[in-house]
Amino acid sequence: MKGARAAVELLEKQNVEVMFGIPGGVLLPFYDELVQSDIRHILPRHEQCAGHMADGYARVSKKPGVCVATSGPGATNLVTGVATAFMDSSPMVAITGQVATHVLGNDAFQEADSFSLMMPVSKHNFRVVDPKLFPETMKKAFLIATTGRYGPVHVDIPVDIFQAEITDEQMAKEVRVPKPKRNLEGLLDAIKLLETAERPTIMVGGGVIWSRAGTEIMRLAEMVMAPVVTTLMAKGSVPENHPLVLGVCGMHGRQVANYALNNCDVLLAIGTRFSDRVTGKLSEFGAKTKVVHVDIDSSEIGKNVKGRVGLVGDAWTVVNALIAGLQKRKKSPTWKQRIIELNKECSCDYNLKLEPLKPQKVIYELSKNLPDDAIVTTEVGQNQMWAAHFYKCYGKRMFITSGGLGTMGFGFPAALGAKIARPKSVVVDIAGDGSLQMVSQEFATAVENDIPVVVALLNNGWLGMVKQWQKLFYGSRYKASQFTVPTPDFVKLAEAYGAEAIRVERPSEVAEAIQRATKSEMPFLIDFVVDPEEDVLPMTPPGKTSVDCIMGRCPWKGGVC
Amino acid sequence: MEVMMLLVYDQPGVMQRVMGEFNRKRINVETIVVGKCEIPDRARIVLSITDREKAMNVLEHIRALQEVIECDLVDQSRHEAYALLSSKEGLCRLTGSVQEVEAIVSKSQPEKYIQAMNAI
Repeated sequence: MKGARAAVELLEKQNVEVMFGIPGGVLLPFYDELVQSDIRHILPRHEQCAGHMADGYARVSKKPGVCVATSGPGATNLVTGVATAFMDSSPMVAITGQVATHVLGNDAFQEADSFSLMMPVSKHNFRVVDPKLFPETMKKAFLIATTGRYGPVHVDIPVDIFQAEITDEQMAKEVRVPKPKRNLEGLLDAIKLLETAERPTIMVGGGVIWSRAGTEIMRLAEMVMAPVVTTLMAKGSVPENHPLVLGVCGMHGRQVANYALNNCDVLLAIGTRFSDRVTGKLSEFGAKTKVVHVDIDSSEIGKNVKGRVGLVGDAWTVVNALIAGLQKRKKSPTWKQRIIELNKECSCDYNLKLEPLKPQKVIYELSKNLPDDAIVTTEVGQNQMWAAHFYKCYGKRMFITSGGLGTMGFGFPAALGAKIARPKSVVVDIAGDGSLQMVSQEFATAVENDIPVVVALLNNGWLGMVKQWQKLFYGSRYKASQFTVPTPDFVKLAEAYGAEAIRVERPSEVAEAIQRATKSEMPFLIDFVVDPEEDVLPMTPPGKTSVDCIMGRCPWKGGVC
Repeated sequence: MEVMMLLVYDQPGVMQRVMGEFNRKRINVETIVVGKCEIPDRARIVLSITDREKAMNVLEHIRALQEVIECDLVDQSRHEAYALLSSKEGLCRLTGSVQEVEAIVSKSQPEKYIQAMNAI
């Protein structure tokens, strides 16, 4: 059979149900074969969004998302999508077309060295130059994406590979990739530390979401009477209505979470890479703490924070091993009680009825009104931090965000991908006007493919987080952070694409608008015109410790975190 | 000096990927030797870097690469050096212990020379 037919069959054999891609010259043989395939194809309006859609799909379905772009500009556009998935360890197979092998390297039309471009932003990548190896390369791509720590794998396929002859023997070839080795040598030390801890805290990261270890972590937390703090990526892994779950920690985290993190004597960190947004000043982080670091990727152990004990393995396995090993636990409920008290007190007392409309009010109403299986995606910036801080994730709720790369314009296409993976759930993208303008063309994709997601736009007319930093750290000298009037009329913009849209300016209208949007069978935009003066506070400045935390109106009374 | 030995797949792009990790970690590779080895379609990379802590930090990242089969630091006792010297008298080829080769190179003050670490 021809390479293009082989490609389609290989995707079908991997149980690929949907792919997100934009065709181009070198992909035409492949797209010609797709005509006869049952694989659903979504045509985004920009390759970057193809990547984000596949990413959103993967985060919900836990299966690798497949995205496709053509050579040259298609591949360069896709780089952001792949890099976003890489930083958040999301499984993906990204396919790019490439010019024919006999002109490769000759600056042919639409040629870019996408193999080199993708190398530092993918878990692994291939350039297929020998048709004999094409089937096994495709199989390897899917295996690598989902073995060990998940990640995106890029396959660059020159057009003549699609036209070459592939034998059944080559198609049948089995492949294997090495599994990462577990290393639980420190297990007994870890158990001992947990058993003797006076003030233990569990910190969970995105790895816990991929490993689906939330339930086990809560069991462990109750056994050792430890509060659980999550990173931004782990939001949704443990139920935020549980008294021991303190919510998101870090730069814009909840004060009680940072308090637990900085005042514990033993920190059990699971599936997290100690991002600078969590640790603040690295040399101060965990200086008084004995850290037990659990990660599936051995290169993460000791990368940022040098722990006492490192355990290499997936979160689910290691947590279960810890539960099995824990026996004599010195009962000291003082720490637990103190944290539970502080957690109750750690609630913002903003007057949410104030006008102009507060963005916090919108998130609060979303949290209150969305169903228990809703999926929330966010863009990047203030909207993301308000969502992380004020939205409560529990039950089957999911929270999907670009935590590592911080890609503006991620949330909307990721919401579309998420909705395709779980069509019965309400999917809401909490957006900012800066981010949405980067990907607003995807309303066309949403309407065309009948993907009814809700975009809750927090419209303040600024690149809000940039503005906040200019205000706090650059003496309010604003440059290039305000969208000068007139900004687009987002209601008209969405309607122009055939989506439904309304504008909300009053606090009293928020809840009703949300209820209306979630019932809509069309893509729906709510343009919340919010107070541009509102900042995301409290905030620990970058590279600083909690001592330097800018509190704003935060009523925290627990002392220095 | 620390010497790291890698066993890798012998195919295009592998060097770029391995060196990319050193680049990302801002580690200057002092010397590097690559060649075929006893296993078909595999190659060995032997490279040296000055800082032990940096070497230890990058080790797991190199091991995580799909095209790297093995990666380890080589014991000091197995470090060797070689050099190729050019002077008016012609070419001179040196192999031997690190101290020996260094001593001869600095003593003979050649017009041009290349010196590298090796180990197995």
